[in-house]
Amino acid sequence: MQNPETTLPSILTYQGIPVWRHAQIIQWVAQIASAILVVALVMWFFGNMAFAIEDREIPFGFSFLGREYQTPIGEHVLPYKSSDSFLYALVVAATNTLVVAVIGVILATLLGIFIGVCRLSTNWIVSKLATVYIEFFRNVPLLIQLFFWFYIILALPRVREGYVILDGLYVNNAGISFPGPSASGTMPALVWLALVVAAVVVGVFLHHRLVRREEEIGRPSYPFVLGCVATVGIAAIAWLVLSGIFGDAPFSISMPAPEGRFGRIDGGVTVRAGMLVLLVGLVIYTSSFIAEIVRAGIQSVGRGQTEAARALGLSPMNTLRQGTFPQALRVIIPPWISQCLNLTKNSSLGGVVGYTDLTNVAITMTQTAPAINIFLMLMAAYLAMSLTWSLIGNLYNRRIGFTG
Amino acid sequence: MKRTIKYLAGAALIVALVAAMACGQEEPPAPAAVEPTAAVTPTDVMEATAAPTATEATSMDTQGGGRLDAVRARDKVICASRNDVPGYGYVDDSGNNVGFDIDLCRALAAAVLGDPNKIEIRLITAAERGPTIQSGEVDMLVRTVTWTTSRDAQWGNYAQTMFYDGQGFMVRKDLGVSSALDLGGSSVCVTLGTTTELNLQDFSNQNGLNLEVLTFEDTPAVVAAYESGQCDAFTNDRSQLAALGTGLQNRADHVILPETISEEPLGPVVPHGDDQWFDIVKTVMGILIYAEAYGVNSGNVPSAATGDTKVDRLMGLEGAFGQETLGLSETAAQDVIRAVGNYGEIYSRNLGPDGIDLPRENGRNALWANAPCQDCPKGGQIYAAPLR
Amino acid sequence: MAAETQTPTANVLPPPRTEVGVIGWMHANLFSSRLNSALTVVSGALLLLILWYGSRWIFGTADWTVVKTVGGLFLIGSYNTELACPGQNCFWRPQGSLLMVTALLGMIWGIMGGGVARRIAILTAVVAALFAFLPYSLERMGWDVRILLLANVPATAIGWALARYTPLGQAKWAVVWGVAAFLITLVLLRGVPNVPGLQPVSVVYWGGLTLNLLLAVGGISLSLPIGIALALGRRSNLPVVKLLCVAFIEIFRGVPLITLLFMSQTLVPLAFPEDFPQNSLFRAAVVITMFSSAYMAENIRGGLQALHPGQAEAARALGLPGWQTTMLISLPQAIRNVIPAIVGQFIALFKDTSLVYIIGMVDIVEMGRVFISRPEYLGSAREMFVFLAIVFWVFTYGMSYISRRIENHLGVGQR
Repeated sequence: MQNPETTLPSILTYQGIPVWRHAQIIQWVAQIASAILVVALVMWFFGNMAFAIEDREIPFGFSFLGREYQTPIGEHVLPYKSSDSFLYALVVAATNTLVVAVIGVILATLLGIFIGVCRLSTNWIVSKLATVYIEFFRNVPLLIQLFFWFYIILALPRVREGYVILDGLYVNNAGISFPGPSASGTMPALVWLALVVAAVVVGVFLHHRLVRREEEIGRPSYPFVLGCVATVGIAAIAWLVLSGIFGDAPFSISMPAPEGRFGRIDGGVTVRAGMLVLLVGLVIYTSSFIAEIVRAGIQSVGRGQTEAARALGLSPMNTLRQGTFPQALRVIIPPWISQCLNLTKNSSLGGVVGYTDLTNVAITMTQTAPAINIFLMLMAAYLAMSLTWSLIGNLYNRRIGFTG
Repeated sequence: MKRTIKYLAGAALIVALVAAMACGQEEPPAPAAVEPTAAVTPTDVMEATAAPTATEATSMDTQGGGRLDAVRARDKVICASRNDVPGYGYVDDSGNNVGFDIDLCRALAAAVLGDPNKIEIRLITAAERGPTIQSGEVDMLVRTVTWTTSRDAQWGNYAQTMFYDGQGFMVRKDLGVSSALDLGGSSVCVTLGTTTELNLQDFSNQNGLNLEVLTFEDTPAVVAAYESGQCDAFTNDRSQLAALGTGLQNRADHVILPETISEEPLGPVVPHGDDQWFDIVKTVMGILIYAEAYGVNSGNVPSAATGDTKVDRLMGLEGAFGQETLGLSETAAQDVIRAVGNYGEIYSRNLGPDGIDLPRENGRNALWANAPCQDCPKGGQIYAAPLR
Repeated sequence: MAAETQTPTANVLPPPRTEVGVIGWMHANLFSSRLNSALTVVSGALLLLILWYGSRWIFGTADWTVVKTVGGLFLIGSYNTELACPGQNCFWRPQGSLLMVTALLGMIWGIMGGGVARRIAILTAVVAALFAFLPYSLERMGWDVRILLLANVPATAIGWALARYTPLGQAKWAVVWGVAAFLITLVLLRGVPNVPGLQPVSVVYWGGLTLNLLLAVGGISLSLPIGIALALGRRSNLPVVKLLCVAFIEIFRGVPLITLLFMSQTLVPLAFPEDFPQNSLFRAAVVITMFSSAYMAENIRGGLQALHPGQAEAARALGLPGWQTTMLISLPQAIRNVIPAIVGQFIALFKDTSLVYIIGMVDIVEMGRVFISRPEYLGSAREMFVFLAIVFWVFTYGMSYISRRIENHLGVGQR
């Protein structure tokens, strides 16, 4: 018997191996085939869609973006009026989602750390309460929880009979109002904010240099204190100078107060009920997941680490700050990023409790504008947000040299 | 090599899963275009129709999309509707979806298939109405849809106004508001994705009211927010204000303001592109209206000629009103009225005394034909193309 | 004897009273320091407050009529109505699938031989049987329906006996029966044309808890294998495969589920020819499964990353081919390490089934919302949502409880 491979014409072999058994070739053929399959499928989908658009005269195109939206947006952080364009309305809605996402992440993280630490407490009642909290809130669908909080907040007194605390804090079922900064003019406010950002950059830079100096000369240089002093100092000087130039401080404190016959609260900062319910729901729901992440993170650091740090003479506070916590963070950060992403996405449930987030504005827009284009933009917006979170996670992973 | 096999195994797994999922899908294919012979499927209605009618009906299809044949082949009328508003479409204690809109769908099924129960109700949200009817997946959209020109152009064809509504406001009496124009600076609750929302914005802009608008995805949340005082006023179609008002704890503390800020003609919508189907739906709505005008109800449907020419023509006992051309059976009206009753019966069952108790006497939703004389304005606005 | 050679026990003092018994326990766990005591007092007061107001509301103020009115509709939605199932009682069909489930649980009990499997099997059977005696608007349930409910107890027993005394008592047969039961359930609920008693019921009438469970079970059993395939694809060094998997995972993970569900109803129908057979439930099931698979893929990728490369190298050194290394060495260890995450994803999937209201399916949550939109129940929203929360909690907590038992069994985190 002859070896069949030797008799094959050279066209059917590659590096002396028959092409149908050559690993690299099989891989490439399979890859190309799957790529063609996917492309064909996608083209088929789009072809059908194009046909449907043509055939049933379904509106299509991005020209709607410049048109007036003419629909109210219930709650908005950016200024909005109904004569604004679709594009701007989408920006307003995306800002609404971002605001809830950022505030929600901060609060959920703080609450999550607190509950997670409570769960590890040696106090029986505290740790059991934390366990019940975690097991309840992460096991019930967010939708149900949001509805529940919605009805709880409704049980607060209405605006005219609401609680007033120290003349500055108004709590009622339309929201919470508290004193807040109010810009005296756009120009001074923007200039001052820009200078504050610059001051923070200077402070961080200073901190960085001082830390290095501390390491070089081996004597304390108080990087944190000096950094803060630099930042606050620059901001304060900028404030005084700007006040001098414009004749008025860049910001003043605005106090909330009831206005008009319906007693709506004007002035200050008002967190309306819709946002409040959404935040409460999201924060409680997400914090129960973060609490478990924090617990797992702290438990992942071996006892020996703590003991070693104590043996080196570090104080308990420093042990936690420089020993346990940085190590726990390596375990905590990746799932935490994933929870941040979930919180951002879950804010799309805001519509059921009266918060107009990106998804709800987009769905309303499909009433008067082409649905296909709106959904394309919506997907792009959410993907951008989720990729931003992934990017933050990846940057952190690279910084701490997380392998894998 | 290792990677190849890993990849192939993965691909095989995916293919197997997709195949498994496809098997899990057990919806029988609903052919949109049916062979001409398939139109003679032995349903009750078709047996009653003469064979030439069937071929005539199919020859009409070259102009339309053949939806009638598709419906008969499927043996089911698919309507998009709702289950969350009393009177129009809600769920009763035994789980049945009932209401005014549902009855219109049942009437259509009775006319086309001879059986009012051969319907499938697809539940959709307010915001889904446009995309749903555009996609052509449903035969009729009856979900308290306001007829507007842009919707008529973009969504589908509006067949017939079956209910005239208008948007109003409900407020607490203790606010001392007697007109919607006094609402300046108040906050108003409204349902997301409706014309109500758009009208409210127009009203606020026109009158410089600077209203604060709170939107909610579903109506119970709107009512709860209003009742607890989160918003000062609550706006919706007046019929729904009346219906939902009965659920408030102290109905006497609330008042519906006199202003009606919009026109809201509600009625069924059919997908674009099928004139025959559009005509069928219009005719069925007309049957309901004229049956009431002629005094025919579910209890007294004649099966033999009565001598009253109009009644006999409507009932297919003498003469015709175009049933053949439309592809309906001669006696389609008998099936419809026996199954669901006339317009008045549907109204009183769902919106009238046996439903959410909206007054009809002398209102816009009374029959035009009930006017005491031809020119006096006492009659309502419910009127359809004469059936002849 | 050994005891006699020890020092006389009379001289050993008992531990101080503050270290043993109730007092000792309290001292150690509640009042070990001043801070701890303060915490105990504060949290104890909080607990009492919650219990006091909670029980007062549940047993006093709350009006549970709405829950009683909905009753059986929570379980099967509008499945057994005149429109869905004209002229006959279709209640027995979901019940038939429940019988299969209880028999399956009995089988698992027989195979596992007690422990948590026994508890779950008995609990499910007893609860199902107890439903026969509940008066909650089950007026359409004839006596035959009650007998079917009661039959859950013998079904469990039969399943147990089959596993115990026949060759069917192997895990693989339980898996086969599980898959068969799921498929039979689908056929049973959907119906078969022209078979008396099994007339087709459109999927738009599938509802209630049955729908949640069906979507969850289908999604769970499909998202794990798809997730594994995606995770392997993402780690592959074939660029095209990797790109496709990454794109799939990121797109489905990056967009909220309600947006995806909404698109599945409005855009996906346009992407197919008009006469292409489709139904909304199938589309929803596909979207939920894909969404869950993307998360599952990331969980499993995490497990694969955490695995020491030495494992795969050792397998290669032993001469195992690549796919065997993956299937027999890497994957089992990776999956075992991420069981908590996988179960967490299962729970998330089950919770996400509550979002199908977006596409007009009347699941248990939507059934509740439909009822509280009726004027007479507008005021009962709190009761409704508390009830729904408890129902979901029972299932999800059950799942995490089982997962913890499995973890203990496999010794995760104990090496």
